[in-house]
Amino acid sequence: MSRQLETKLREAVASLFERGEIDLVIGHEAGSLPLRSRPVFVRDAADIERLVWGPNCTNNLAVYLPRLFAHPKNLREEYAPPTVGIIAKGCDARSVLGLVKEHQLPREKVVIIGMPCTGMIDPKKVEAALDGARIIGAREEAGSLTVETPGGEKTLGLAEMLADGCLECAHPTIDEADVAIEGEARSPADERYQRVAAFEQMSGEERWAYFSDEISRCIRCYACRQVCPNCYCVTCFADQTKPRWIGAADELPDLMAFHIGRILHQAGRCVECDACVRACPMDIDLRVFTQKMPKDVEALYGYVAGMSADGVPALLTFTENDDEGFISEP
Amino acid sequence: MKRGKIDKTDLRKLLAAASEKARCAGPVADRVGVKLEELTADSVLALDYDNFRLSPKLWFFPRSEVIASGSNGTLEATPLPEEATVLFGLRPCDAASLELLDKIFLDEAYLDPYYKARRENTTIITLACNDPDPACFCTSVGGGPGASSGADVVAFDLGSELLFEAVTEKGEAFLAEHDGLLTAPSNADDTAKEKLIADAEAKLQPVTIDGVADKLAGLFDAPVWETIGERCVGCGTCTYLCPTCHCFGLYDEEADGNVKRIRAQDACMFPLFTLEASGHNPRSTQGARARQRVMHKFSYTVSNVGETFCVGCGRCVSHCPVNIDIREILEEVGA
Repeated sequence: MSRQLETKLREAVASLFERGEIDLVIGHEAGSLPLRSRPVFVRDAADIERLVWGPNCTNNLAVYLPRLFAHPKNLREEYAPPTVGIIAKGCDARSVLGLVKEHQLPREKVVIIGMPCTGMIDPKKVEAALDGARIIGAREEAGSLTVETPGGEKTLGLAEMLADGCLECAHPTIDEADVAIEGEARSPADERYQRVAAFEQMSGEERWAYFSDEISRCIRCYACRQVCPNCYCVTCFADQTKPRWIGAADELPDLMAFHIGRILHQAGRCVECDACVRACPMDIDLRVFTQKMPKDVEALYGYVAGMSADGVPALLTFTENDDEGFISEP
Repeated sequence: MKRGKIDKTDLRKLLAAASEKARCAGPVADRVGVKLEELTADSVLALDYDNFRLSPKLWFFPRSEVIASGSNGTLEATPLPEEATVLFGLRPCDAASLELLDKIFLDEAYLDPYYKARRENTTIITLACNDPDPACFCTSVGGGPGASSGADVVAFDLGSELLFEAVTEKGEAFLAEHDGLLTAPSNADDTAKEKLIADAEAKLQPVTIDGVADKLAGLFDAPVWETIGERCVGCGTCTYLCPTCHCFGLYDEEADGNVKRIRAQDACMFPLFTLEASGHNPRSTQGARARQRVMHKFSYTVSNVGETFCVGCGRCVSHCPVNIDIREILEEVGA
């Protein structure tokens, strides 16, 4: 199925180039390691062949958009921003719309090429299923994943290898794509936020202990921030030096201050793409903390991020009837 | 040099004996993988691992450390660390990285007393690799799965037993001290060892780096850097996991009249690394920052200290969130 979608995707991109409707497209190409793809910038029809599609196309490519449209103020008048095609799963497309809503991109300069997403593989689940055997290669076909190891091939059920975030995804595809690649997307999940719910059931002390333990692993590489399309601040509060908000040492309060800042800035903005979760080189359980934001914002204010480019972001509205329970009874 | 074998079930005994005179660290199962951790009486050694997620350089060059502190306008240097330490289970690539870091931190012109003290106080026992990770390329940068650079003792995993070979006088003394737990190796053990290492080497995909340093010298303005920079998201994963990256910043922090001078790791991937007080940034693009990392390892250090600052551990290859692969960059610039 991936092959057919890949062919359709390349045809769609080729016709966008032919019609002169895009200057470049951001997509996925084959990676250098098994179970990996990576972002690629295609500016020329000759490179369309590099584009791939499959359950390893994990990166949320919307992260690259703000910088394509950011430029020095003194150049604003003469700067001609490109028109960019972007290959987007449901979550990626919602990131794009969220960025438009936050005035980081002109909507008319982005062509969303929407993919019918069937979920992405979590390589850690594959590793666990192989009991430590080396993964030399992998291919996906008709609902199964065949992994090549030194001891021979092993076929796994693709559904069991999908990332937790994908299993709980409520929006595998969106309506507002400019070019919709036809295919059958995953059904929206019924059971959502199971781990967040379990976290909420813990006592305050237990939650604090879990948060402390997880965050103490942080090495401040800021990969979680850098891969997040929402983290487009010109200077992150964590990088400000006058004043410094966060100490230079590895003290737990400093690490926590960064993560609390990053996570709370996602309220009403996080599209649950799990880019931060995948990027963390220390495997910190960022999902359970970060997804508390979209869960609460939807439950308390009925707002879901990235569903349209119009309207007012949740953080920019206030009514006197707003639920404030999250402050006193988190 | 002294050699000796030990049954794996007795390894804990050997490290317990060593713990009487020094703090000992070894491979212990972590929530994900295995980490190099100080051993306690309850620690369970895990010998089946590729490598530690974090480089053991952090035992010598911590991510942050207070190097001076004080109040009322005076600062006193932190006393030098004196604790004797035994590190067991470093992979040969990471041990080799310490020999490279020595060229920086033990340079007489800029001698780092904290690093020096830790290096002198530490005995390093490496564990040779029988099954390198697909991202590894140590043999392409002068190392090998059984290489001894940076090690005081090399341990070879023969299955149910470990074969120790002393490399330095420190290693010789360590094995002599624990001689009672060791048995003499046979010719068959040597044959087994050589086969394991040859098999491990055969699994590695070579990367050509011959002539890369010279080529890089002429590629400062090449378009390849902006192509890499376009994909690079600018996180510090590659630098912070790297066993040879060694850049740091100094920060004075004050709280309630007490001042701490902190040395903390920094990364050339961050714009803040080169941002000047005027607001000007000489490395204003991610491409310029990506170039710096490659140039520093494969060109500048070759000119400055005669070494390529990469040991082929593969951490940056495995963990880059956008799969920027240094092996491909080297192939591309070397071609």
